[in-house]
Amino acid sequence: MAKMSDKMKQELKAEKQYNKKHKRMYRLTFKDIIFNIINYTLFTVFMIICLFPFYYIFINSISSPAEVTKGAVTFFPKGFSFETYKAILQVQDIGRSFLVTISKTIISTALMVVASALIGYLVTKKEMWHRKLWYRFLVITMYFNAGIIPWFMNMQMLGLTNNYMAYIIPAVVAPYNIILVKTYIESIPAELEESAFIDGAGYMTIFRRIIWPLCKPILATITIFGAVGSWNSFTDSLMLMGSAPQYQTLQHKLYNYLNASSDLKTLIQGNVSSEAIKNAMNNADFANVIKYTVSMVSIIPILIVYPFMQRYFEEGIMLGAVKG
Amino acid sequence: MKKGDSQTAVADKLYWVVRTAVLAAVVLIFLPAINPARITSLINRNMSLFTSAVSIDGLTQDVGIKIRATGYTPFYMVQIASICMLIGIIIMAAGACMSLGNLKLKKRGNIASLVGALVTGGSFAVFMVASNMFKEKLSAGNYTDELPFIPAGMYVYLGLAAAVFIFTLLAVFMLPKLKGDERCEMPTKYTLFLILLPFLVLVFAFSYLPLWGWRYSFFDYKAGQQLNMDNWVGFKWFTRLLSDPATRKDVLNVLRNTMVMSGLGIATSWVPMAFAILLNEIRTKWFRKSVQVITTIPNFVSWVLVFALAFAIFSGDGFINTILGTNVDFLGNPKGTWFKMLAWGMWKSVGWSAIIYVAGISGIDPQLYEAATVDGAGRGQKMWHITVPGLIPTYMVLLLMSIGNILSNGMDQYLVFSNAHNKSLIEVLDLYVYNLGLEGGAISLSTVVSMTKSIISVILLFTANGISKLIRGESIM
Repeated sequence: MAKMSDKMKQELKAEKQYNKKHKRMYRLTFKDIIFNIINYTLFTVFMIICLFPFYYIFINSISSPAEVTKGAVTFFPKGFSFETYKAILQVQDIGRSFLVTISKTIISTALMVVASALIGYLVTKKEMWHRKLWYRFLVITMYFNAGIIPWFMNMQMLGLTNNYMAYIIPAVVAPYNIILVKTYIESIPAELEESAFIDGAGYMTIFRRIIWPLCKPILATITIFGAVGSWNSFTDSLMLMGSAPQYQTLQHKLYNYLNASSDLKTLIQGNVSSEAIKNAMNNADFANVIKYTVSMVSIIPILIVYPFMQRYFEEGIMLGAVKG
Repeated sequence: MKKGDSQTAVADKLYWVVRTAVLAAVVLIFLPAINPARITSLINRNMSLFTSAVSIDGLTQDVGIKIRATGYTPFYMVQIASICMLIGIIIMAAGACMSLGNLKLKKRGNIASLVGALVTGGSFAVFMVASNMFKEKLSAGNYTDELPFIPAGMYVYLGLAAAVFIFTLLAVFMLPKLKGDERCEMPTKYTLFLILLPFLVLVFAFSYLPLWGWRYSFFDYKAGQQLNMDNWVGFKWFTRLLSDPATRKDVLNVLRNTMVMSGLGIATSWVPMAFAILLNEIRTKWFRKSVQVITTIPNFVSWVLVFALAFAIFSGDGFINTILGTNVDFLGNPKGTWFKMLAWGMWKSVGWSAIIYVAGISGIDPQLYEAATVDGAGRGQKMWHITVPGLIPTYMVLLLMSIGNILSNGMDQYLVFSNAHNKSLIEVLDLYVYNLGLEGGAISLSTVVSMTKSIISVILLFTANGISKLIRGESIM
């Protein structure tokens, strides 16, 4: 029997190689062709639906305001103009919130990654005093929360409303990411650490010289997803920065602009420094386009990091399905 | 047992008292109810010792016109005193941490604890200076209502500092003499714990401390007021949820929306799986790759941006209307709100959710397919009899998770898409709580709702987990 199956395996292998050489998996039947046509069409349509809105606001943001208002821009940009991009740099409101968003994304993500790596390493150390208890203390917070209002009252109590630090401090400890790092560290052979330990390295040295470099793939993953999450977060700004316009994020500003689309002009106008732009703003067409430009500005950073994120998709999906 | 040993054991017990006292002092730094810096009612009620030390704006926030009488100097004095006290507490905390080490480290720690306790107690004098300043200025300005007093928090802190001082002093006498040249050392288990400790404090402050906010549900709280027995209402808000017709109608409506949205989500939860299976049938590599790349983009933009895109396409002067030459406001129209929300949710997440199934398909043993081919199974049969059963376990896990999260469908999406016309159809629980509490100012009632929701959610999640354990013998959490 064993011999037979060996032979069969060989035959199958030979057939596969033949197929590969001749680029033919199997013969297509008529049904297959119909199926393929439908399948390809379906995915093409879905791709267009996913991409078109982005393309549409892009072409609107680079078209001349007059054409946009006329409704002449549908599939292709008309009358190239980067006026609105130039104008947006002049609006202090937007420039400032751009800086706030970028800085808070970078700082909070950097701190979160370092903290997750360190905590993830610490909770694998069995010699720690009451390790299990502290680990549970951390992990259990993923499954319950006090609710929006108690959370808000707490932030207020801690003096973190209308305060830039509200973006940074609460983001430092992220239980999900800690679990991811911990699981990853557990998969590293223990011998590496032991031999370093025998050579006289302390915990911190081991962390810096061995654990940190070995964890780079998972750290890259949590960096990317943390940064995107931080860039996109909007409710924290909405709830906490109500009376501190200088700390509102780009997403929050965009939300304000969209909500007040009709009085966008008056909303922005007070914040413009140069007289020329102010005059341009008086032009109703201008206000129309600037929505698109603000949207574009807040999408661009995502699109820039997007190609780098590709590699981390599989780990990233783990973020939603990890086990404590 | 030698005499020295038993004495060290007693010292260890004393140290536990010291550590507990220091821990209490550190936690109380963040509680406004116990703020030693609130020496006059001019100072904002929501300030904790920590915020008093870091923010002068906060201290003077509620003073208003009376600042003319007092000037800023007394407030700066209060801030300086708060900073002194904070430093004292930090030194005490360092001393308490060092008490976990060996004999030499303990002795060093004793010095730190004593100094810290003295600084904490000494800052009382600085507070008194500030207090005198207030007294002088306020009496001159005839504001006798706001005359300074000694707040309860001050007694608490002085008591804690005194306890730390006395017990450390006792421990000093209990500890034996140092022998030879011992080095400062600490057992590994404590070192590791102490590195972790700051992070545990953060978790406590941002995940556990909010639970303390549940107390608002038993009071008739209005922004800016203090909680005391006068506005204690017991379970009034809980009964009101059921007895008051208007509130009950609101809640039922919101619950219906929540259930419908979650239900639609669950009913379409097979779509990503179908997406992945169909994608797997595509043999052109570059096409497959581009489908995956492009359909995951929407997952990475925020809901605000999704709304911006929706606005560009569907608003009165958006793409659709431009093409058709009409002027229909699709976004303001409440017709089919639920299905629109479902569509946007799917547009955003289908490509992304499919990835887990794509990974699942590549995990299916290829021999199964080969065997099926040999047996003469067609494409559809292979999909139905091999791929689908291979993915069902993953699907079940995600399905149970979404049942566990049935009450929490987030608020971002519904917040950005809501408007005056569709409000009654789009308001889900999270959004309702937000509107009621933060926009409407009904803090107590909204706390009741969000508290009830949190408790039910946890129960649901654990039930889902229990079911999973029962059926699959594996937990999902």
